[in-house]
Amino acid sequence: MADEIKKFALTLQKYLKAGALERVEERGSCIWMKVRQGELINACEGSLENGAIFDSAFISSSAEGKNASRSASASRSANPFVAYYLFRVPSLGMMLVIMAQGKEFSALSANLNAAIWDERKIQDLTGLLLQGIPDSRPLIFHPESGMPDKHPVGGKPFIKPKSSDYIIKGTGMEGEFELGVGPVHAGIIEPGHFRVHIFGEQINKLELRMFYLHRGVEKAAEGKSLQEALPMIESISGDEAVANAVAYCHAVEHALGFKAPERSEFIRAILMELERIYSHLSDLGGMPTDVGFSVAASRFAVLREDMMRLNRQVSGSRFLHGMCVVGGVNNDLDKNKLLLINHSLENFTKELERVEQLTLKSSTYLDRVFSTGIVTSSVAKELALVGPVARAAGISCDLRKTLPYSAYPKVPFTESIEKNGDVLARFLVKLAEVKESAKLIKWLISHLPSGALQADLKVPTDEESGRIGVGWSEAPRGACSFLVELTEDGKIRRLACRTASFRNWRGIENLTRGNIVPDFPLINKSFNMSYAGTDL
Amino acid sequence: MLLETLKRAFDYYPDRVSEKSPDPSVREVALLLKQRPLSLFSRSIHVRMVDAGSPNDVELEQQLMMSPRVDAERFGVHFVASPRHADVLIVTGPVTQNMRIALIKTYEAMAEPRAVVAAGDGACTGWPFKGSYALAGDGSVESIIPVDVKIPGNPPNPYELLAGILKAGMLIDKKRKQRK
Repeated sequence: MADEIKKFALTLQKYLKAGALERVEERGSCIWMKVRQGELINACEGSLENGAIFDSAFISSSAEGKNASRSASASRSANPFVAYYLFRVPSLGMMLVIMAQGKEFSALSANLNAAIWDERKIQDLTGLLLQGIPDSRPLIFHPESGMPDKHPVGGKPFIKPKSSDYIIKGTGMEGEFELGVGPVHAGIIEPGHFRVHIFGEQINKLELRMFYLHRGVEKAAEGKSLQEALPMIESISGDEAVANAVAYCHAVEHALGFKAPERSEFIRAILMELERIYSHLSDLGGMPTDVGFSVAASRFAVLREDMMRLNRQVSGSRFLHGMCVVGGVNNDLDKNKLLLINHSLENFTKELERVEQLTLKSSTYLDRVFSTGIVTSSVAKELALVGPVARAAGISCDLRKTLPYSAYPKVPFTESIEKNGDVLARFLVKLAEVKESAKLIKWLISHLPSGALQADLKVPTDEESGRIGVGWSEAPRGACSFLVELTEDGKIRRLACRTASFRNWRGIENLTRGNIVPDFPLINKSFNMSYAGTDL
Repeated sequence: MLLETLKRAFDYYPDRVSEKSPDPSVREVALLLKQRPLSLFSRSIHVRMVDAGSPNDVELEQQLMMSPRVDAERFGVHFVASPRHADVLIVTGPVTQNMRIALIKTYEAMAEPRAVVAAGDGACTGWPFKGSYALAGDGSVESIIPVDVKIPGNPPNPYELLAGILKAGMLIDKKRKQRK
């Protein structure tokens, strides 16, 4: 174990009672820390004070594993749940996983605003009541639409809530109106309910009600083989398919203790950058659309369609589906394809320059986007926002740089950061990222190593059951992380996922306050969160 | 300079839709366009879409269907904001439990004659989440509301979507004639 990690573990120990830290282990680029159940929150708060950033909170049930070894089953039935709190530690370039086994837990969100959705989700999935949680309304289940018989994780029977109303309160200001929008919206977008409390044109408060698209991805993946689960992972969010698949594959590879060959990591990186380009282009085109600047919007749409056609020529799917598999990649990128990508990107960057000029020279456009929907860096830190949203507020949070994965430790890469935090800043960050991605792809192609495409997938039999792995990637919308638990025969026992959208929606709730109603669609588009990625 | 400008202007022209195109989905659209009646006023199809559980990919393809390259508007396909204005309801799936009520309400708000298109593998069969606790019925749109046209694909490309909508438009023509 490296000295820095030992030092970090020692500092954390000061926050805990004697003997509460049961195990510290370094595996892959993760620090695994097992603490006693009662000390979990202290450990989390200690790590937050020492420069760690909250990433996600998951819970899994150890009791229902079919292949749980018999010797441990007695302690498991007494402590049926395992909580995982994930933190990014940029100073070490590692992910910190704090875990504890128990049957009752306290809520971290009592002191950490960012964790509320995570813990409300945990409550819904398991039926546990986290002590001290500031908001215990159901999140993913909508009582009026019917509930399942039992909780998906752990199998506790469902207790029906007393009332099926989901109460959304305004600010209580005199003369305030309530404006409900959704779940079915006017445009070609996904469903979600927005409750806007307005006084005149000004927004006093916005509250979201999401999870209309809750398909039970995490539960559906249970019991599936590693490759069988991939179509589900790719269906978490359409335009983040590769990023999610890569994060999942890394989690599994981490759990099984092997690495994909170098060539496949380079190909994965190329695919992720291709995905970032087309995904960002839809945001870049969306912002002018919502301002009514349809010339720029159309030209961005043409660029996007051309990139999607390139994707199809490269991988056979317009969304790059099916390329990334556990252990490597499915298909090679041969010489002709690489040439095609290079050639298309050259034309693409030229045309992008022209569209950029057109957009950024339009005073009407700039007038609408400048100083609209400001995310301050303090809000971004408080809610642990990720992705272009946080980078537009001056926070360095690109996992390609802070927690490098895949081929990125070797890639020369500059992070694009803006300071203002308004819609324009987000536009500029995304524009800069598209250009950077085009450059990165060229670099990756010219340095593509030769070698195997897939590593042999062997499930080691000598280790104890309950192999766990964590994987992450920088999706177009920001950092996403996956946690997988595998059974002895190499199937999925528990899959947990947190996408960037899940983290960032609460940013929208926060920053629309004080803006006017017509700017709300624009702010929403500048975030462009995935509803499906949030709802899972 | 002038040549360069002209060349770039042609870059923005929509694709040619002909029966000789190498892309089978484009050929299908061309064939369907040939079959449509040449009446002046009944050629437009107004479409309302409901995402009942898709991972956003079909929506992105629908957006691109309206983009200058495919430009479905030139064939009379037009997306509207309210189900009250719509002839065709295009549903993407698999249908989730939480979206079931919204989907039924949207369908019931439409005026007759109407047609429903299920777009994507999820909407047609519930794939890949079939059997999940969070899906309504078996996840397919059929198990919630009657479906007229199915478009398979993960996700279907813009031309496949366009062909499905054109088929639904022809169905509505038939239904209208039966009512007369």
